[in-house]
Amino acid sequence: MVLHDYGYVGIFFLAGVALALAALVTAWILRPNKPNPVKLSPYECGEIVKGSGWLQFNVRFYLIALIFVVFDIEALFLVPWVYAFKYMGIVGYVEMMIFIAILFVGLAYAWRKGALEWH
Amino acid sequence: MALINKVPIVLEKVPGGDFLLTQIDAVLNWAKLSSIWPMSFGLACCAIEMMATGAARYDIDRFGAGVFRASPRQCDLMIVAGTVCTKMAPCIERLYEQMPDPKYVIAMGNCAISGGIFQYDTYSVVKGVDQIVPVDVHVAGCPPRPENLLHGIIQLQNKIRKGTIKDEPITIR
Amino acid sequence: MNQLQLDELKKFFNNISHGEQSNSYIVPAKDLFAFTQYLRDTVDLTFDYLKSITAVDYNENVEVVYELYSLKLNISITLKVALSPGDLKCDSVSSIWAAADWYEREVYDMFGVQFNGHPNMKRILLEDGWVGYPLRKNYQNKDMVKKPV
Repeated sequence: MVLHDYGYVGIFFLAGVALALAALVTAWILRPNKPNPVKLSPYECGEIVKGSGWLQFNVRFYLIALIFVVFDIEALFLVPWVYAFKYMGIVGYVEMMIFIAILFVGLAYAWRKGALEWH
Repeated sequence: MALINKVPIVLEKVPGGDFLLTQIDAVLNWAKLSSIWPMSFGLACCAIEMMATGAARYDIDRFGAGVFRASPRQCDLMIVAGTVCTKMAPCIERLYEQMPDPKYVIAMGNCAISGGIFQYDTYSVVKGVDQIVPVDVHVAGCPPRPENLLHGIIQLQNKIRKGTIKDEPITIR
Repeated sequence: MNQLQLDELKKFFNNISHGEQSNSYIVPAKDLFAFTQYLRDTVDLTFDYLKSITAVDYNENVEVVYELYSLKLNISITLKVALSPGDLKCDSVSSIWAAADWYEREVYDMFGVQFNGHPNMKRILLEDGWVGYPLRKNYQNKDMVKKPV
């Protein structure tokens, strides 16, 4: 991109940040702030809280998140490759196929090992 | 106290500031009354009429109040619909305290207003929810018809319209 | 239950007598547990469904009423156990029918009848610290507003 195109990106970025900040600042100006101990206590449908809020989560959440991150990054790499495909020729095609094949082996391993099962 | 409540101190000294104050009041009150989010607190039969008010024919969403939140943290109106027993009373009080300011309460139905049909000869009914939380609007009926509840919402909107940023929102305790 | 079956029961429990309706039986408190176990376990009778346990306060005694149903024979019977108001203790049948757990807690909550052998004898409908048993005839509560005549 030409240098002054980055200027457009910069303005866009600043406008986004300013909009979000404007919403937060307006709310901070307008809202009352009257804390008291009961208001700050944790919500448990009106009952007094029993037990701690810190639970041990099941590992299946972590596995699904991990697999998602890996394949999301793969999809992210596929997108610019698609746009630049015309200029790359056969070399680009073969390179990307090798990349997908390596990740496919990983997917097959995870599938066989049962990481994609919920239970 | 919010920053907006300190604005009248400055604006009253400025010429024409009073007019600006009323316009700010009008805008803020319009925003508040057009987006009242009720907390669904249906305890007994009046809950059915509240559900009917939220349904298609007597749409409460026309008044902006169709977003029934389950958590007290996200709502500003508690519609106490139904009989309050003594076992439930501490829960109601705790939930009212956990709502953020500014908050309003509608006592819907005779049981929430005065104990209703259970006022005499019962041992565990709280005779009126205003013994536990401060009530802004009473909607009478056993159960009140949906149009009656909508009339109560409109009365609450009139009450909000009279508010001003000169008084900070008070919590009656 | 016809007369033949009642006569069979009388062989085992000679204190059981007929109540006012044709299918209700008056059972003394000390025979209750053995009788109900017999009713559930006998292959011909299999009263395996406890419909409800409730109680009635007649002024001279408190009767605990059990309603049982037999899926095999398609009959319901009612058992009534009379307890004297000074000594409200009865055997718990929660080891025979698991449904009896909450019913007996409700009877305790409303009438003050203690059930021996109940796993969790505490109030179920009223708050834990409530004083008094509301459905007794002699219940007094100063917060109750009397209806004006």
